[in-house]
Amino acid sequence: MAAASASASDAQTSYGIERDNEPRLDVELLKDTARKALIDTLNAVNGVKTLVLDPTLAGPLGLVTEVALLKHHGVDKMFWLEPGPLTSTTTNVVYLCRPLIKYVKIIADQVKAHIRESQKHRYTLFLVPRVSTLVSRILEEEGILGDITISSYNLQFIPIADDVISLENDNAFKELWVDGDETVIYNSALALNSLQKVYGRFPRILGKGDYASRLATLLTKSLPDQPSPCLIDEFIGLKNSHVELPVSLLTLPAAPNPSNPNATPSGSASVTPLINEKTKKHHLSTTTDPLLTELRDLNFSSVGKRLSRVAHRLDEDYKARLQAKTVAQLRDFVGKLGGLQGEHQALRLHTGLSEMLSLKTRTELFNKSLEVQQNLLASYEVSAQISAIEDMIAQGASMQAVVRLLCLASITNGGIKAKSLDSVKRELLQAYGYNYLPLLLSLAAPPLAILLPNPLPISAAPTVAGNKYPFIALRKSLRLLIDDNPEALEEVENDISYTYSGYAPISIRLVQCVAQKSGVISNPAEKSSADDGDGKGKGSSARKLHAHPIVGWKGFEDVLGTIPGKTFDIAHKVPASTNSTASSVASLMRPHEQTTTTAVFFLGGCTYTEIAALRWVSRQNKGRKFLIVTTGIVSGNSLIDSIANTGKNLSATKDANTPSV
Amino acid sequence: MDTVQHPSATWEAVSNGIVFYRRQQLYTLPGKLPNIADYLIAGCKNGGPIALMRDTSKLVALGRGGPAFSKSQIQVYSPAGEGLLLFSWDQGRIVRFGWTFDERLVVLNEEGVYRLYDLQGDYQQFSLGNEAAELGIIDARIHENGLVALTGSLTLLEVKDWEGGRPLAFANPGISEPPHSWAVIPPDQSISRHVEVLLSVDATILTVDNLESTDQRVARGPFVHVSPSPNGKFLALLTFSGLLWVVSSDFQRELVVLDTATVGAEGPVNQVEWCGNDAVLVTWNDLASLILPSRDNLAGETLRYLYFGTTFVVTEADGARVIGQDVCDFIQKVPASSVSIFRPGSTSSSAILFAAWESFVQRSPKADESIRSIRSDLAAAVNECIDAAGHEWDPHWQRKLLSAAKFGWGFLDLYNPTDFIAMGQALKVLNAVRFYEIGIPLTYSEYQYVSPAHLINRLTSRNLHLLAIRVSSFLSLKPDIVLKHWASVKIARSKSSAVDGEDDEVCRLIVDKFEKLGGGEVSYADIARRAWEVGRTGLATKLLDHETRASDQVPLLLTMKEDKLALVKAVDSGDTDLVYHVLLHLHKRLPLGSFFKLIEDGGDQLAPASKLLQVYAREQNREMLRDFYYSDDRRVESATLALDEAAQMTDPHAMMTAVNAAEKFFSEDKDRPFEAKMMNESVRLLALQQQYEKDSDGKVKFFGQSVSETIRTCISNGMSKKADRVKSEFKVPDKRFWYLKLHALTAMRDFEALDAFARSRRSPIGYEAFVRHLVEAGHLKEAASYVVRCDSPKRVGLYVLCEDWRAAGRECKERGDKKGIEQLRKSCPNSLIARELEQLMASMK
Repeated sequence: MAAASASASDAQTSYGIERDNEPRLDVELLKDTARKALIDTLNAVNGVKTLVLDPTLAGPLGLVTEVALLKHHGVDKMFWLEPGPLTSTTTNVVYLCRPLIKYVKIIADQVKAHIRESQKHRYTLFLVPRVSTLVSRILEEEGILGDITISSYNLQFIPIADDVISLENDNAFKELWVDGDETVIYNSALALNSLQKVYGRFPRILGKGDYASRLATLLTKSLPDQPSPCLIDEFIGLKNSHVELPVSLLTLPAAPNPSNPNATPSGSASVTPLINEKTKKHHLSTTTDPLLTELRDLNFSSVGKRLSRVAHRLDEDYKARLQAKTVAQLRDFVGKLGGLQGEHQALRLHTGLSEMLSLKTRTELFNKSLEVQQNLLASYEVSAQISAIEDMIAQGASMQAVVRLLCLASITNGGIKAKSLDSVKRELLQAYGYNYLPLLLSLAAPPLAILLPNPLPISAAPTVAGNKYPFIALRKSLRLLIDDNPEALEEVENDISYTYSGYAPISIRLVQCVAQKSGVISNPAEKSSADDGDGKGKGSSARKLHAHPIVGWKGFEDVLGTIPGKTFDIAHKVPASTNSTASSVASLMRPHEQTTTTAVFFLGGCTYTEIAALRWVSRQNKGRKFLIVTTGIVSGNSLIDSIANTGKNLSATKDANTPSV
Repeated sequence: MDTVQHPSATWEAVSNGIVFYRRQQLYTLPGKLPNIADYLIAGCKNGGPIALMRDTSKLVALGRGGPAFSKSQIQVYSPAGEGLLLFSWDQGRIVRFGWTFDERLVVLNEEGVYRLYDLQGDYQQFSLGNEAAELGIIDARIHENGLVALTGSLTLLEVKDWEGGRPLAFANPGISEPPHSWAVIPPDQSISRHVEVLLSVDATILTVDNLESTDQRVARGPFVHVSPSPNGKFLALLTFSGLLWVVSSDFQRELVVLDTATVGAEGPVNQVEWCGNDAVLVTWNDLASLILPSRDNLAGETLRYLYFGTTFVVTEADGARVIGQDVCDFIQKVPASSVSIFRPGSTSSSAILFAAWESFVQRSPKADESIRSIRSDLAAAVNECIDAAGHEWDPHWQRKLLSAAKFGWGFLDLYNPTDFIAMGQALKVLNAVRFYEIGIPLTYSEYQYVSPAHLINRLTSRNLHLLAIRVSSFLSLKPDIVLKHWASVKIARSKSSAVDGEDDEVCRLIVDKFEKLGGGEVSYADIARRAWEVGRTGLATKLLDHETRASDQVPLLLTMKEDKLALVKAVDSGDTDLVYHVLLHLHKRLPLGSFFKLIEDGGDQLAPASKLLQVYAREQNREMLRDFYYSDDRRVESATLALDEAAQMTDPHAMMTAVNAAEKFFSEDKDRPFEAKMMNESVRLLALQQQYEKDSDGKVKFFGQSVSETIRTCISNGMSKKADRVKSEFKVPDKRFWYLKLHALTAMRDFEALDAFARSRRSPIGYEAFVRHLVEAGHLKEAASYVVRCDSPKRVGLYVLCEDWRAAGRECKERGDKKGIEQLRKSCPNSLIARELEQLMASMK
């Protein structure tokens, strides 16, 4: 892909080749399953039908299918599931949505309207991923249960990149941490179970966090005696827990918005509004766009540099034409022309994108928030940062950015001084409206508790006090903050902190605690570059350390103990019959050939930056691939939005951008 | 040489020796049954038991039938004469009893009440409804999957499927007196796939179903016996005068017309029953006569079987079971495969194969010769031997036939032995259940028809659990059914919890057995339900603990009214849908107060349930949520709820009320002074906004805006006084106010006002903010005018930002910054400016 078209001598693209050589889990399988299930679902309703679609499902569905396929299976017209009357010309009306109460109410209204107008339709309601008593109860209360056939469409993990699969449940974080609705955990357990059915059983489950441990219990309990066909995955690390989650998610937003611009498109079918302005919709994915592979995980500060390098190379390639002297050389060139032009186009697109982004990254507010954020991470003049946040409110920064920074301040310093907290909160409410008071309350309430006064009021629940986050201690023990030395950053890209301009996400550090222990303590790249002095000629593959086998949290128990939330490590007994053969094969292959896949599950969602960091970890070792499994892709803003319950407006604007599925 | 009787010894030939009938003695039952002449009898198909009830219309010699019964009693015997069940009937007069497909005895009385007894004497009771009870039931016909009752007003009612469903009325046949006799054709055998009733009325037959009543225009009647064949295609009718008439069920084709007087029996005909689908068995006292249609004689052919005393005939799909005083026989047309092998003088390939095998056993060289002679038909011959083995009752001959088959396939190149193995297994099972202690004389074709699972059910219903479990493991079927039945019997039999240890003991026994035999896959929920039904709540709960599937566990707990436990289990399962199921169920059943109490008392354990309830109620049932928060003194949540409602309101007054309510809630909580204050501000703001809207005659919309937005709106509508008032009222900091005003005025392009504002006092946000904001908005010229007021070191940069290169150059000159000018010259956009800058540079020198 990328490497094939780029000149192979380029050291930085060489990892691309290596990655391709090592076998990877075939996640396309999941896509096929999802597509087949959709077709079966549609065919279950006979004849031509009108499809009414939950807008939040459009993105995920767009990843597994296309409009033509739907049309082919009898879908006549499609509508969003939105309040208001539904006009349908077909007898069959098919609703496809998540089992949320608001959707059910809309459906009930539409059906009742039809009954009033004495229109005859046959209604079928497909719930994703499974049927729910709640829905039938509400339909019963609305008095139309008898008119609707309820069934399910089991949409589970959807591959959004070759190493990322997601449930695409955007509200997971809010449901879990604010509402305490554990449906997500159960659905994740179901989905992980089907994953185990496809790829074999997870021999070892490690994780951190109360909810994660609940998920692990469900996983182990629900499958008492399942025969394991073959073991592909070496283990699963269930990440994202109690406190670790807020930090990793809230810190990222500052840098990440810009730092991952190019990654955003790779996810769902809808691209940022920026692109829409061009009235052209691009579905960017790594398979179609080689440049994206190179760019998506880069820090925003080096995107420009990389782009210019590609531009130069292209220019040289074009110049090759002038040197072409023989007919054969000319023919070669013409043959290459198509590829070159494709690349040219991609380059133009990305340059355009990064220009637009750089406009954004150059604004004063952005730089200010970045500065505040870095200072907070370093705990540098905290009170000054708080007043800086207040200034940002005055200057009209976006609500999300302000709230995000406030939470960050609270987490990194174990709370904000009560007096200044009250004044900031007052400013916030005055500037953005008193209707955000519930948002502030939910942020302060356990189990989230990420906006707290310091010291805590005596009346506060003991759980809140007990769950205080020892950020400062962690910063040291897990080496979270690396000096932002620009030269080192750009050239060596030697630690995962690179993705955040110097900050290493805790979640990924924890993964490293299990999968790459050396990476936590010191910088592996520094060491290897020292070795490199004599062995440069060997090439990069020889330099890479082989991944060590998973041995649990060993060595980091103390650190983990300080983080609130349960830590667990469950090893499965492999059934005796397969054990002997499997282990003998494994022992034969272990040292060199065997590549194991490690699934890392983020409950509540993960960010693009975390994905980038994980990819970085997996690039440093051979013999271990990471499969990133998540409930959804989030960003700091989307989190705050979902907690503030502005999700509805958000999804409305999103609709405009999503290509009709 | 063979001491065992040859199979063909019991054969009798008809149709010139092409067809044979055989009478196979199944069991001898001397003295085991009472005198069946005095009893009404119902026999169950497929080798099932028979039920007897004293026929009160007959005289009984005192002192012979044992003690006289004052009440009706029904006795059930297996075909081998073993007593299975005896129970007495205390309801109204029984009009009819019969058997269902799954071997339950249906007893119907004249009041329209019917009970389904299983072989353990447990029953379910249903009724045909009030109307039937008033009219009275005078007769009924019971078939395997339902019954048809004749009411006192001579209408017909049908019951389907033994589930206690409502009876369906049939078309009114319009008759004035009870039919002479009648019969039903079960739905799976009629052409219409619904039950058809045949009524013998006057000289004709009426066919009645649920739509219409049709006169078949027959003139031979009236009939005393109407009997449809097992496949429903033929009818056997007997007139008063003793004429037997066999016709197709559409009355188009006559098969037999025979005066039964010619058979030479005395007395009245007892029964007219079918023997398979090919022959009719007519019984008198001491005689059973088999009558078959014949091609050349309408009177048909007759075979006579002598019995001592009265007999009772049960029609089977492939024959007829005859129960006499001392013996239980099976009369059957000899299957084709047996005929082809055992018919004397048969030269079929299978007969030769069998002979060859016998020669082989005797070490005679003829074996090889025989095999050679049938080489081409060998495969068919092998199959026929296997088939014939299935139809033999005697294990001796079964073994011989199977050996012959095995011998035969040794000469075949390729042979698939699946049939052979299946037959071996089937015979092993059949021989086991035919044993007289078990007493299920099932034929091979019936076994094929009813399926092995059905057979296992029948064994378990006789409490033959050991045999059932062996059979099911032999056939590799799941042992669930047997284990569950065993456990429920175990529960029913064990003494009700007089001692505390009893429950534990039973539970342990059941769990041990299940884990040993069921492989841990048997569901405990059904058994627990059973335990609960017999009043063993404690045991039921214990058993439920072993159920791994919460989705099975929870519904039962709910019906047991173990509310808390159900909720806890549902929460533990992690399945939120299940939690909702319980919550919604309890919400419906319990009074609201105790419902809340249940959840609140649960503490941390039930916290997820409480959360889910809130999620549900917030969307669907706010009234309940309000009550919930109120009852639990959750002030903050109450306030949040009020705010949430306020956000959705459009009416200003209602909204203010809601916010006021929120303020009140917050003020009741001593930890929330800040929030209460904020809400107070919010209400004041809303009031102020209302006031302003009124002042502007409703032209400007304020309502619902934040403080900052209100100020902005004021300014952009030229109401700067009002903006100032908002500022002072809500103590808006200067900085924010200045930014707001700057932004608002810039957006309006009111640069004069902006200038005046900038000069009003020294800016708390500095003037650089002015410059930058104006530049961002694209007003470069205006922006440049504010640069002078900024700190001098920054001015050059700001001028550049405003693209006022000359001013920037001048600034450099004033400060004597040569390098700055040089820098400017390098970065300036066009040569014109560059030249000017050069001049400036020159002038500095």
